Formats: sequence, structure tokens, C-alpha cells
Amino acid sequence: MKTTIAITLAAIAAMPLAAGADDFPKRTVELIFPWGPGNAMSASQILAEAMSEELGVSIPVISTPGAAGTKAFQIAMNKPADGYTILDGYVAPLVLQPVLGKADWTYADFVPLHAAFSNAFAIGTAADDDRWANFEAMMNYCADHPAELRYTTGSRNNLPHMVIAKVLQSYDCVAQNIPYTANGDAMSDLKNGVLDFGFINVGDYQQNGDDYTIQLVLSELPASAAAFGGAPSIADLDVDLGLSGLGPMGWNWWLVRKDTPPDRLEILREAMKAAIERPEVQEKVNALGFAALEWDWDQYDEIVGPVAGQFEAMGNALKWEEEQLAKY
Amino acid sequence: MLAQSLAAGLDQFLTPLTLTLTTLGVIFGLIVGALPGLGPLMGIVLMLPFAVDMPPVAAMGFLLAIGVGGSCGGSISAILLRIPGTPLAAATLFDGYPLAQKGRAADAIGIAISASALGGLFGGLVLILAAPVLADFASNFSPPEYAMLALTGLIAIAVVSEGSLLKGLMTGCLGLLIATIGTDEFSTGFRFTFGSFEMLNGFHIVAIVVGIFAISEMAHQVQGNDLNQKSDVKIVRPGFRTLLITLRHWKNLLRSSTIGAAFGALPGVGGTISTFASYAVAKAFSKPEDGYGEGAEGGVVATESANNATVGGAMVPTMALGIPGEASSAVLIGAMLILGFFPGPALFEQRPEIVGGVFLVYLFSNISLLIVGILATPAFVWVLRLKKSYLIPIVLLLCAIGTFALQSSVFDLWVMMGFGILGLLLRNAGYPLAPLVIGVILGPLLENNLRRALLISREGYWIFLDRPVSAVLVAVNIALIAGAIYWTIRQRRERDVRATAQSEG
Repeated sequence: MKTTIAITLAAIAAMPLAAGADDFPKRTVELIFPWGPGNAMSASQILAEAMSEELGVSIPVISTPGAAGTKAFQIAMNKPADGYTILDGYVAPLVLQPVLGKADWTYADFVPLHAAFSNAFAIGTAADDDRWANFEAMMNYCADHPAELRYTTGSRNNLPHMVIAKVLQSYDCVAQNIPYTANGDAMSDLKNGVLDFGFINVGDYQQNGDDYTIQLVLSELPASAAAFGGAPSIADLDVDLGLSGLGPMGWNWWLVRKDTPPDRLEILREAMKAAIERPEVQEKVNALGFAALEWDWDQYDEIVGPVAGQFEAMGNALKWEEEQLAKY
Repeated sequence: MLAQSLAAGLDQFLTPLTLTLTTLGVIFGLIVGALPGLGPLMGIVLMLPFAVDMPPVAAMGFLLAIGVGGSCGGSISAILLRIPGTPLAAATLFDGYPLAQKGRAADAIGIAISASALGGLFGGLVLILAAPVLADFASNFSPPEYAMLALTGLIAIAVVSEGSLLKGLMTGCLGLLIATIGTDEFSTGFRFTFGSFEMLNGFHIVAIVVGIFAISEMAHQVQGNDLNQKSDVKIVRPGFRTLLITLRHWKNLLRSSTIGAAFGALPGVGGTISTFASYAVAKAFSKPEDGYGEGAEGGVVATESANNATVGGAMVPTMALGIPGEASSAVLIGAMLILGFFPGPALFEQRPEIVGGVFLVYLFSNISLLIVGILATPAFVWVLRLKKSYLIPIVLLLCAIGTFALQSSVFDLWVMMGFGILGLLLRNAGYPLAPLVIGVILGPLLENNLRRALLISREGYWIFLDRPVSAVLVAVNIALIAGAIYWTIRQRRERDVRATAQSEG
């Protein structure tokens, strides 16, 4: 009798371990999204829904904006490394914020499931603004009238700000960056002539293309220029940003903590890969102005690593802008 | 623009989810309105955490319908128990309770529901006609105008806060201070976060609102020492013929609804004042044989049509300018932010389907109120008979589940509890709570737009006077501040005169 009880107890005690290995996932998997609701969140929701069908559990997208995306990373790092928390790893909080000293992690603290989307952006002006014939004429005007032009990249010290600051530095253009909480307000001020130029993401352009003149697409990829109606791109200019690794600007990877059990990691990777390859997912995210990326998890180091190095090398663009503005 | 918005919103509105949630919102609103101590604000606060994961129009339909149902529900307990479920129903006591005492309780409740629904529909028309015009005018608003508008909202709310002006301003300023916690978007530096990553984005507005209103109210109820008292209310069943009784008072109905909508559209004025004002006007226009104060049908029509018209009126500045008309609107603005859109002029241009959808759900919620209210009154009366000792734990559990579900965050629960304690302390000391929430919501709007305007300006503060609309708003703000100072001095003088007269007499 005692033996029977002991065997039964041992079997019961072993059950959770067995279930943990075989039945993953058996409850909701959370996707921590680092921005507020908008186009980017919708794209993640489309992919999360497809992935949840692959896994058979729901994947709610939890928006946790704040501190240029770093709050979401902090939350994800404080959750157990059990595969039930996925992080929507945008380049700004993943690579840029650590370079700026605003975060104490590196991209190597996470492991990727798969790359998610490319989200190209451009420099644009209001459609009825005819002060300049093209981007270079605008830059020449800016160089002749330092600190007079106002522009926005949404948040401050984000990836678009860094890239645009680098471009402006190349032309010796000193302009004032105006931060905005809501993209809609920034675009409204651009259209009303309060701002001289601004960062336009491809989703905005595809929804309200008639409102803007795209002066320069900030990507060397032909597909990105095509997404902005064939506008001139940085590839057409004689400017070296030193950001070749960023190719399609604004990519994101879905990540988990690096100490996540390998068997669970494998299940998540397969599900995400299957989800992102679905034609209906690609169609829906394309309609939002995003493009699904094909980079698999083993390309993570090759793509993200150089970007971190390049950010460090070009980190002076923001400092240059601040120093120049202080003179006027 | 109006027709476009409504057409665009039709798809969002005509979904089973939106229609069901709006109807459920009305039912829930009637229940929380009928329960003394809760009310429409509390109902919206309680359901806010659950609504934020819904599609925007369905969520707004649910929350607005709670406001609509809650504004009417208070009349049920006022008529049956002589306890207004909400301050909005305080004036309904004058004639509603005597009418019930005459054996016409069912008629009194039916008239209250019919008048509320018709008044609400009138308020809806005001919303639909006035909000787009106001939004169109304001579509050229930029940081200077928004900064001055946020200031107007802050001043107006504080000026009309219940009790003393000073206390209203103090809680408003506390709200502004709380709003500074988190990441400064201009310098990207961290403010008052004490090294906690949980505070990088400040406190979640829902945790603040649930804590400050719901938790503190439950604690206040516990202090009341009547947890096991059971009310002895009889079940009544009003009929649809009460709609005809209400329509017989059509002049009163139209006049009171106009007063309600107009008061609602003035930021900070709110429903309680409008119900007393419309009752006073209705009584002034009445004949002695109407018997106001002794169970007049017209008295119930006046107060109930006014308080529901106020809800539509209050949505005008909320939707068109992003300025909350009263505390419920402030919470609704918080909900809209979480749902991914910010009310204001740009919304009408950028998201017409949301604007049209919100207009339609508001109108539908009033139609639902008429049907559901009359059919389901016996059930609401049954809820009135629940002991507080059962009710309070249920409400607390709902608060905790809802707040935790927002971000799966235990920290948010601590925030909720902390603000609950703060709310109780403020309440016990006689400080109004709504200005604190207004401060938290309007604080970032003021700070960010002020700083943005100064960055855009090349000549410092002149940017606020260079632009005509901004200059007018500066003048309005100066006049409001001067008016508030004058009012305070006058009140103090009158108090001194009364004190002197008493000591001499």
C-alpha cells in the first residue's frame, strides 16, 4: 500500500515537469509592444493573431509605451524566461537607447524568433509648400538660415531623429527639432505650416499621400522609394550616412530573453516563421505600409550587430545638433 | 463634414458587438446610478479597464451608455427611497418622491426615464450639430492654442469645483504635479521616477481614476457604519404610456433640455447645477395648481431631461476640443487616449469614422434607455435591496481585476490602492477629487504644448499673442482668473458681514 502511495505521489510530482516540456504553450503568450496604439501596433496584432492560430493559444499585444520604448524592455526583462513573454524589439529601444546610455542592455541579451517588419520613412513637407524645388535646395536654404527651420521626428532622440540629424549635419543644416507625443498633431502642424519639414512614415504616406511632398526617402532600398511613390531616395544623393546595416529603416525583431528554454524557443520560432510567411498576413501588413521581413533568426547577429557599431560611430549627430542650436 | 462623419461611423456602429455593448452599458449605468454612492462617473471608472481592449466605437458606446444610464438611474432611488442615487438626481427628490407617495411610483419612474431619454436625444442633436462646427473652426489650432485651451480647461474646472475654490485649485495642482512623473519627452530625462522602471511612463490614468474615485468611495461607504442595513423597497413596473405623459410637458421638456445641453457644453459646470437651474426655471413658469414640490410631473420632467441633456452637451467640448466638460468626460478622454485616439479638432479630420460612430452610439444609448429602462425597472429596484456588505466587496474585486488586466501589472494595483487612500484623505478633508484627475489629464497637454510653442517661437512668449485665437484664449484665461479672484473676495466679504451681523445680533 505504502509503495502504491509513494509511486502515485512521485507520478503526481513529476507531472508538472512533464507537462512543462511537452505541452508548451498551454496558456496565453503575451507580446509586449513598446509604443502606443497605431499602425505599428496594428501590424503586430495581425502577426500575433496568425501566430496564435499556429500555437493554439491567444497572443494579446500589450501596449506599454514610455521612455522611447525602454519601459517595454524593462517589463519583458522582469518576466520569467519561460517563453510566455515575447518582446516586440524595435531598433530604437533595442540598439539606439543603449548606445545613448538610456538602457543597460545590449541586443545580445535577447534571442530572436524571427524578423518582423520593415517600416521605411522619409523627409516630407506640406503639399502646398513651394519654397524649395527639391531636397538639396531646402538644405541650401537651411544652411543659409541657420536655426530658422523647424522639423519633427515624433519623439526626440529616436531613430528618425538620429538619421535626420545625421543628414542635416552632412549639409551643415542647423534646424530645431520639435518633439510631439501624438503623430497626428505633428502632421497637422506640418500641414498648417507651423513646421517646415518632418518625418513621414510609410503608413502616413499611404493614407494621406496628397497632403505631403516627399523630399527624400531615408532608405537605400528601391522598394522603399517605390512605397513613397518613386520619390528621390538617399541612394540618389552623394551622402554617406554610415548606416548601411539599417537598410530598410525601422525594422523590428520579435525576441525572448536569452535564457528561455531551447525547446520552447524552437516552438515559438517555428510558429512565427509560419505566421509571417502566410500570404494573408503579408497582404494585410502591406496595406498598412509595412513589409514583412524574411530574415531568419540566424541572421540576427549579422544584421543587428553592425547597426549597434554604426550607431556608436554616428552618435555625435544629435550632440552636434544641440551644440549648433545653442549658438543661435 | 457631418454627413461624412455619420456615414463613415455607420459601419462601426452597426455591429452586433457595438449595439450589444451599448445596451449593456445602459443597463449597467442604470444599476450604478440607482445605487446610492456610485453613479455614472463611478460606473465609467469601474468598466474603463474592461473597455480598453474593445474596438474604439464599441468601447465608447459602452462607456457613454453607462454615463447615459447612470445619469437617469439616480432618479430610481430618489423616487423610491428619497435617497438620490447620484447628486444629479438630488432635484428629482422635490417632486419624484411626493409623486411616489401619492401611489404613482411607477409613473414617476416612467416619466423620469422618458424625460431622460428625450433630454439625452436633444443633447445628442446639440453634440452632432455643434461639435463639427467647433472642430472645423479649431482645425488650425497649433501648440499655442492648445496650451491656452488646456489652461482654460484647468481654470474652468477648478473655478466651479464643489466647495472652496482654494481646495479645488489645490487638488488641481496636485494633479499637475502627479502628471510630471515619468519621462520628459523634450529632454528624454526621467522625472520623479526614483529609479523605478515602472514609473518611466508615469502612473496609468486608469489606476489613478479607479483609485481616486472607486476605492476611496468604497472606503467612505465602509466608514458610514450602515453596511448591513437592508432597504425595504417595493417592486414597481412603469409602462410605456408614461412617454405620452412626458410628451404632454413638451415645452418644459424642450426648455429644460436646452438648459441642460448649454450647461453641459460649458466646461466644468456639470449636471447637478443644470438640474437645479432647469427645475427653478420650470417652477417659475408653472401655475400654482401644478403643485411643484408636492408631486408635479413637470418637476420630474425638468430635472431628468436636463441632467441627461448635459451628458450630450458635455461631449461637445470633449470631442471637439479635448476639454472635459466634467469629471465623467475627463475619464472618457482618458479612455479615448488608451483606445488610440485623442479627442480634438484633428480627430474630425483624421478619424471621421470614430466621430460618427460616437455620435451614433450616443443617440442609440438614449433610445436603449427608453426601452430597457422601462422594461427593466423592477430588476434595478431589486438591486437596490442588496446590502452594502455584499455590494462593496464585489465592486472592489471588479476594480482590482480591471486595473490588473490593463498591463498585467501588480504595480498598477499598488497605484490604485495608493490613490484610493489619497482619495479618502482628500474626501474626508472636504477636497474635491475631480480637479485632481483633470490636472493629471490636462497637465501634460499644457506642459508639452507650452514648451512646444516656445520652441517653435523665435520671439519667446509673443507667439501666444501673435496668433488671434491664442490671443483671445489668453484674454479669456485672464478674465477667468480675475473673475475667480473677485468671486473669492466677494464671498469672503459676505461671510465677514454675516459673522459681524451674527455677533452684533
